[in-house]
Amino acid sequence: MSTPLLKASGLAKAFRHKTGLFASPTIQLAVNSISLELASRERIGIVGESGSGKSTLGRLLLGLTEPTRGDVWFEGVNHKQRQARDWKAFRMRTSLVQQNPLSALNPQMTVGQQVAEGLLVHHVTGRAGAYERVAAMFERVGLSSAMMSRYPHQMSGGQRQRVVIARALVLDPKLAVFDEAVSALDVSVQAQVVALLRELWQELDLAYVFITHDLRIVRHLVDRIAVMYLGRVVETGGIRSVYEWPRHPYTRALLASVPTMDPRIRNIEPPIKGELDASKVSQGCAFRLRCPFAIDRCATEIPELRPIRVHGAGQHAACHRADEFPQSIAPQIETVPRVDRTPQKETAL
Amino acid sequence: MSKLLTVRDLVVEIPARNIKILDGISFSLEAGQTLGLVGESGCGKSMTCYAVANMLPRGIARTGGSVTFEPGGPGTGKPAVPKVAMIFQDPTSSLNPVHTIGYYLESALYRHQGLKGRDARMEAMRLLERVGIDRARSRLRAYPHQLSGGMNQRVMIAHALAARPQLLIADEPTTALDVTMQAQILHLLEELKAETGMSLMIVSHDLGVIARLADKAAVMYCGKIVETAPVAELLDRPAHPYALALIDCMPSIDPEDLEPPAAIPGSVPLLDSLPAGCHFHPRCSRASGECLARFPEPANIGFVHEASCYHPMVS
Repeated sequence: MSTPLLKASGLAKAFRHKTGLFASPTIQLAVNSISLELASRERIGIVGESGSGKSTLGRLLLGLTEPTRGDVWFEGVNHKQRQARDWKAFRMRTSLVQQNPLSALNPQMTVGQQVAEGLLVHHVTGRAGAYERVAAMFERVGLSSAMMSRYPHQMSGGQRQRVVIARALVLDPKLAVFDEAVSALDVSVQAQVVALLRELWQELDLAYVFITHDLRIVRHLVDRIAVMYLGRVVETGGIRSVYEWPRHPYTRALLASVPTMDPRIRNIEPPIKGELDASKVSQGCAFRLRCPFAIDRCATEIPELRPIRVHGAGQHAACHRADEFPQSIAPQIETVPRVDRTPQKETAL
Repeated sequence: MSKLLTVRDLVVEIPARNIKILDGISFSLEAGQTLGLVGESGCGKSMTCYAVANMLPRGIARTGGSVTFEPGGPGTGKPAVPKVAMIFQDPTSSLNPVHTIGYYLESALYRHQGLKGRDARMEAMRLLERVGIDRARSRLRAYPHQLSGGMNQRVMIAHALAARPQLLIADEPTTALDVTMQAQILHLLEELKAETGMSLMIVSHDLGVIARLADKAAVMYCGKIVETAPVAELLDRPAHPYALALIDCMPSIDPEDLEPPAAIPGSVPLLDSLPAGCHFHPRCSRASGECLARFPEPANIGFVHEASCYHPMVS
C-alpha cells in the first residue's frame, strides 16, 4: 500500500492541571493513545463534547502542539524529524480553519490582504500574481472580487467564514483541519457553507479533518467519523454505518440528543446528564459515570477499540457491551403525549 | 386560558439614523404558553425580546405600537405587574466575572423576594439544586469562570427564577452549548414551565429547538412577522416561502436522508437598504410583480395560521 497522506500513531498529549494555589498539579491526558490514517482526498469527522480533546487532536496533527507520546507522519515524514525549513514547506501544504471567523481575521487588514498573505510569505507569486490568485479564490468561494478591499467588520458572518475558507485554500493545500468551522453560523448560512465545502472538495485535491460537535452537519461533509470522549476514540466507522447502528452508548447519546423536527417528541429525559469530568475518572471506562448501561467490568477494565462484526465494515467501538445495543435510538413517539397542554414527565427509552 | 401579553403594531427604530428595526410586530401570548421566534440573524428576533422586556439598548427606541401585560391584581392571585425575566445566548459573558454565583443569586433574591442572610442562602441553594447543579453549597462561592458554559446557563436560569417570573424570555439559550447540554437545558426549561406555569418566549434559529418547546411559532424576516402558526402546523404546512426555506435548510441525522440541507440563496438584506414591497422577494422563487410593489398584509391561511404572502403555499 502507498504511504498515507497523514498517519498518527499512539498519539497522547498531557496537560498539567492545578486545582488550587497549594495543590500539587495533576496530569490530565487531553488526547490519549489515538491512531488514525488519512489518505489523499479522504475526509474524516471528529465529534465529541467540549473538553473531549478534539481540538487538541487537530493541533497535534498539524504540529501546532508537541505530543507527549506518539508520532505524526505527513507524506511519510515524521513531525519530529522536521527542520525549520521542512516546517515551512509543511505549512504550505496544510491549513487550519478555526471556529470564530471574526477573531480568526485581523481587523486591521483588508480581507484581500489576508488571503494574499500566504502566497506572499511562501513566495508563490509576486504581488500582481497574488492579486489575481486572490481574486479567483474569492470568486470560487462565492464572494465578488470587489469585496477584497473590505475589512472584516464590514462583512456578514457567512461572508467572513468564506474569507477564512479562501485563505485556508488559496495555497492549494493537501490537508486541512476544520475546527468547528460552521458551528457559530446560522442554519441558513451553515447550509450555504456546507454546500460550498462540498463543491470545493469535488474540485480540489484536498483531504480534511472536520472537527465539530454538530452531528447533523458533519455527516454531509465526511466519509468516516471518529467519536471522542475524554481524549480517546470510543467509536469510529463509515458515516452510514455509525448513524444507522451506533454501538457505543456515548455515540447513541450524542445522536439522541439532537433535537428533532417532530413537535410530538417532548418532555423526554435527556439521554445523558452532566458533562465531561476528567478529574473523576481514574480507572476503567471513562464514560461509565454517565453511562446508563455500565456494569462492574466497566469500572476495572478499559474497553479496547474493537471491530463490530455483524453490521458495517470498518466500524469499531470501545465498549464491553457494544454487541448488545439495538439498532434504534429513537424515543418511541407513541409513548409521548401528542402536543401536550398538560405536561407530563416521560422517560426516554 | 388567560391572556398574559399583547403586542400590537410594535415599531422599534434607531431614531438617529431613521432605521426601522421592527416594523409593526403583533402577537399575543397566553399564560403558560410558549411562543417560538424563528428566523436568521438580523431579523429582529432579539430586538423583539428586548422590546417586550423593556430593555432596549441606548439609541434604540420604541416609536409606535404597544406592549401590554394583562394586569393581575386582587382576586386573581397574581401580582399587579407581571414579572419578566430573560436569559441570553452566551451565559459566561452575561454573568459579572467579579461576583460569586452566591452573591449574584442572593442579591436577586433580596431584590425580588426580600430574602436576606441565611434565608437568601438557603433559597439560592435550593434554586441551584433545582436547575441541576450539584454541590450547591460550594458552588455559591464559585465565580463564573470556574464553571462550564452549560453550568453558567443553569445559573442564569436560577437567577431568572429568583424573580418568580410570569414570562421567561430565552434568547438562543442553547446555541453556544453542546448537543448533550442542549438536550439537558431544553428538558429543564420544559420541567420548569410545567412546575411554575410561566409563559415562555424562546428565540432560536434552530427549528429543532422551536419544535421541541414552542406551542406556537412566529417566523420573522427583516423586522416583520411573516408567518404565525401552531408549531406542528408550521412544520407540516408552512405557507410562507421563507418558512419553507428555513425548514429545508435544517440538517437531520436520518441516515436515509442523503440530501445535504438546501441553502437559501442570498442573504438577509441590511436594514438601511431593505428591498421595496415584500422584503423577501429577491430571495424568493415565487416572487411576482405584486411582491415588488407593496408588503402583503397578513392573511388567514387556516385556524390561527396567518402569513404575509401574495403567493402562499397551499397543499
